[in-house]
Amino acid sequence: MEVALEGKKPDSIIREERPLVDKNVTYIENSVDMIDLNQRVVFTADGKKLAYDYIILATGSVPDPDSIAGLRAASLNFHTSTEDSLKIWDALQQFRKGHIVLGIAGVPHKCPPSPNEGTFLLDDYLRKSGKRDDAKITFVTPYPRPYPAEAMSKVVEPLFQKRGIDVVTFFNLESVDPTKKELYSLEGDTLSYDLLIMVPPHRGADVIIKSGLGDKDGWIPTDKYTMNVKGYDNAYAIGDCTDIPVSKTGVTAHLEAKVAANNIISSIENLGQTHKYTGRINCPFEMGSGKAAFVVGSYEKPVKEIHPSRIRHVMKRGFERIYWRSLTGNLDWLLDTYFGATDIVENSKPTVVSSK
Amino acid sequence: MQVPVAKPTTVVDSRGTMCPGPITDLFRAFRNSSIGDVIELWATDPAAKPDVQTWAKRSGNEVLAIIDENGYTKIQVRIVKKGTAR
Repeated sequence: MEVALEGKKPDSIIREERPLVDKNVTYIENSVDMIDLNQRVVFTADGKKLAYDYIILATGSVPDPDSIAGLRAASLNFHTSTEDSLKIWDALQQFRKGHIVLGIAGVPHKCPPSPNEGTFLLDDYLRKSGKRDDAKITFVTPYPRPYPAEAMSKVVEPLFQKRGIDVVTFFNLESVDPTKKELYSLEGDTLSYDLLIMVPPHRGADVIIKSGLGDKDGWIPTDKYTMNVKGYDNAYAIGDCTDIPVSKTGVTAHLEAKVAANNIISSIENLGQTHKYTGRINCPFEMGSGKAAFVVGSYEKPVKEIHPSRIRHVMKRGFERIYWRSLTGNLDWLLDTYFGATDIVENSKPTVVSSK
Repeated sequence: MQVPVAKPTTVVDSRGTMCPGPITDLFRAFRNSSIGDVIELWATDPAAKPDVQTWAKRSGNEVLAIIDENGYTKIQVRIVKKGTAR
């Protein structure tokens, strides 16, 4: 998103994967062709067969613009690749005046705040470049309100109004006509545009669908507390690939990973403990003008109303600097402190149930 | 309490999910539905009822019944209008 709407260089957000992995881990760089949870075997694309005792699936989600007729041809987006994000930045440099439509083409999609964030940053860009007076911005969403969760929508809605951003709700995109530059909804509405930036709907990974491990959209049936793949004591799923009812974000993947890892350790060491994910979400939410909020909630507590501030923006951008180190697990003490200190809804530490 | 008025074509179980879980699940079912289908949404989130009612009114679809069960609500929607604005 920052590449698309702030002109950030893609090199600054990409790292080689191998150096990020602990030296005690055998890292195999290969595509997976098939996973057999019953036989406990993973087949790689080059024909190798890897047997395992425990497995954690983290196959992510796949943006799928081809699932809506005309969408790929008509719309730019900042979810598929840095190259596609750069196309938005280039298009904005060329843009002089007209109607920009930005929104959600389908659900689910990763990072729920990102369509709103993109709209705020688009407005920022147009103001800074002196083009805002010649641009109309419309945010389009299938949901009843600008942000899906009502508490945060109460924060977003007045800010959109203040910035002159129009909102079209209950617009489930059916198709796009790139020639006429029109959007059509399943609700029967039509919307025209000059520049279109839509977040595509997402689906599960091809390998999950091919292996028959997902539902009809490729999401893996997963126990939302233990992170076990349903029906398998030695298989876990974390991150975007699951079907659990939380946001598809990096924070949730991180917290779920700790639960899955601790449950594997408990099983190997015969500790008799069951670690449980609380459903904690903590999505950073850019709201323009150098301010940000967070979307915070859990399974038991709905999302709360949190207003944007400069310090939250600094926290978000600051975390980007330590993100790569956090992947090693060496900064978990810092993240645990953060989640404890910001836990306005409940104790966010994963619960542990001991049977011993 | 109302009683179900139609046999559902699709049952969508969103119990245990919070907003926007139920309405998201309804939209996924709506996308795959045909005219005449009855989608029955099961939800524990209280926001599901007003959200579905508002969406149905706006989209021209029909809420057939809202049934309070033990700890959750069943909402039946008949799809009478879908797409093709052109």
